[in-house]
Amino acid sequence: MEIAAKSVEQAIIEAENRLGVPRDQFDVEVLKEGRTGILGIGDEDAVISVSPLMSVEQDFTQVAVNVLEKLLGLIGIEGRVQVVSEDTSVTLNILGDDLGILIGRCGQTLASLEYIVKIIVSAQLSEWRPLVVDVDGYKRRRCESLERLAAHLAEQVISRRCAMTLEPMIPSERRIVHLALANRSDVTTHSVGEGNNRKVVILLKKK
Amino acid sequence: MKELIEYIVKSIVAEPDKVSITEETDERGLILKLEVAPDDKGRVIGKQGRVAEAMRTILRVKAARAETQVKLEII
Repeated sequence: MEIAAKSVEQAIIEAENRLGVPRDQFDVEVLKEGRTGILGIGDEDAVISVSPLMSVEQDFTQVAVNVLEKLLGLIGIEGRVQVVSEDTSVTLNILGDDLGILIGRCGQTLASLEYIVKIIVSAQLSEWRPLVVDVDGYKRRRCESLERLAAHLAEQVISRRCAMTLEPMIPSERRIVHLALANRSDVTTHSVGEGNNRKVVILLKKK
Repeated sequence: MKELIEYIVKSIVAEPDKVSITEETDERGLILKLEVAPDDKGRVIGKQGRVAEAMRTILRVKAARAETQVKLEII
């Protein structure tokens, strides 16, 4: 990654911010020293090339944790970040007291926080990987209860022989409902409505 | 408030040097005016305003804790 700034020192500070790690965890190669001209004429930015020392795998998780911790600090929330690695995805679980404010209505605040972490990490590492940000296992519990709800409503749809519409939900939660019923041969799902009002409909599959 | 937005914006733009945030207050609370390089405008707004919306949501958490209101304007 190349970084340009007014001076080499400033470029290194910038690199620390962008990578989210201290100076001793990346290599710096100075490409241009940069210079200050007279009255702003002839100014030239310093350019450095930086490369992190850690392995890529560790790097992704570590950078993500650093970004999330930095954000929590700036928001003014005291929380610990616990890393839960599964084969394909990494979950960053925030632990602490009084974190309901981070979840927000229907998990919308948590979804925003996760999105911001994702775009910062992908800007720093130029790669996109599955990443989940959770608060005290909220998403996991919510996922389980949505799966139970989906199964329950599917039974209702079959016994009453009519379509049923769920409450409006955020995209990641609608996805859970769609996936929970994706393999069924008797019911099918789709979404209706726009924006924050989009909701899942469960209906009988046409034979 | 400013530091939070500054960190997010400077992390996602191509030209962090050109990021400028000014703070103003009116009777309702704080207003953050964000300026970035023209080519970076899309990055801070995002598809269908998704990035801007996410930044505002996170800003609201901090504002709620400080019992104030904060508005983010992208110029």
